[in-house]
Amino acid sequence: MGCGRVGSGLAVGLERLGHEVAVVDREPHAFRRLTADFHGRQVVGIGFDRTVLVEAGIEGAGAFAAVSSGDNSNIIAARVARENFGVQRVVARIYDPKRAAVFERLGIPTVATVPWTTDRFLRMLLPDGASTAWRDPSGTVAVLQLPLHEDWVGRSVRNLEAATGARVAFIVRFGRGVLPDGKNLLQADDQVYAAAVSGTVTAVTAAAAEPPPVS
Amino acid sequence: MRVAIAGAGAVGRSIAAELIEKSHQVMLIERDAAQMDTQQVEAAEWVHADACELGSLEEAGLERCDVVVAATGDDKVNLVVSLLAKTEFAVRRVAARVNDPHNEWLFTEAWGVDVAVSTPRMLAAVVEEAVSVGDLVRLMTLRRGQASLIEVTLPEDTPLAGLPVRHLDLPTDAALVTILRDGRVIVPQADDPMEGGDELLFVAAIDVEPDLRAALDR
Repeated sequence: MGCGRVGSGLAVGLERLGHEVAVVDREPHAFRRLTADFHGRQVVGIGFDRTVLVEAGIEGAGAFAAVSSGDNSNIIAARVARENFGVQRVVARIYDPKRAAVFERLGIPTVATVPWTTDRFLRMLLPDGASTAWRDPSGTVAVLQLPLHEDWVGRSVRNLEAATGARVAFIVRFGRGVLPDGKNLLQADDQVYAAAVSGTVTAVTAAAAEPPPVS
Repeated sequence: MRVAIAGAGAVGRSIAAELIEKSHQVMLIERDAAQMDTQQVEAAEWVHADACELGSLEEAGLERCDVVVAATGDDKVNLVVSLLAKTEFAVRRVAARVNDPHNEWLFTEAWGVDVAVSTPRMLAAVVEEAVSVGDLVRLMTLRRGQASLIEVTLPEDTPLAGLPVRHLDLPTDAALVTILRDGRVIVPQADDPMEGGDELLFVAAIDVEPDLRAALDR
């Protein structure tokens, strides 16, 4: 659902990979974004309307992508595809991060446009050591490389986790990945990658840049 | 009773005013600052927020509401609000406004809606009721869509004239509730005769409507 820039790109891309694709959009001129060699079904209509979806072939569909410009439309269409038509793989795009909780509750996988874009900018604008290495598509959790204050050497991973509120996902030590077990002690030149919940990244980074708390 | 109304347009505000008059506590949730005309319904608690945002509903304390009315002019919003009210806040009763009849099929328990109100459909039913004689007219759907209030106006030359009510071989799950005749409301007894021009009101399960129609033709 949705033949905007993302929707049309997705449609053409999927077809090139050999899949059978149908696209639904409210506006007939949206389909102009599709390439001339696209030969999937193009249906004009509202993406959560029963008759429109059936016309687009949802009854035999293996997957459904809701990429319209409206978060609510995407929520409703995604749920209808899954609950009413039994489509197994359903993914929705969301613009407004505050809607993320709703999608999450409904168990609909999402791609959150804004956090992803923000992240990419941050990674390209900021100096090393202060950006996320990976962010989950829902935009709610990230893995970041964590520069440490030198006094952390010799302290345990568990200490670091307690001080920052993050979880150490893995450490790259002398070019090899290490999965810590909490008791591991941090060594000089360790590249520490921590998992943190969105919104805490700054606090986590700041805590790691401080010397360990005196306990 | 504590009622939250999403959408403070003309519909939302008039519902609020009526409920306040009956001494209920009303909260009006409106996203658009331009519509926040608090003076229009001063006794209500006004909340400037997006009713589709979980955080806003948490802040507004939706779990303390007995009833939520999704009264915006956008069916998508009404569906999402209804779902959140039911699944996240366990609100006892959720009523939703249906703007486009094409979307009516969505407004069910699956989306948290206990009662769906579709103005176009109600208007159509009222018009139908005024003009059709001899046909079944569904005035209202009750109890989550399982039963309806149905009206039939007997034609003047009806073959049922003079026959007692017990002559009607009604299917199970259908009941003749009232006969309206010359401004009177008659509670029908089995031996009461029917007359041409009578308005018969039934409450019947939707799936027995064809049998009901057949019973009236006999």
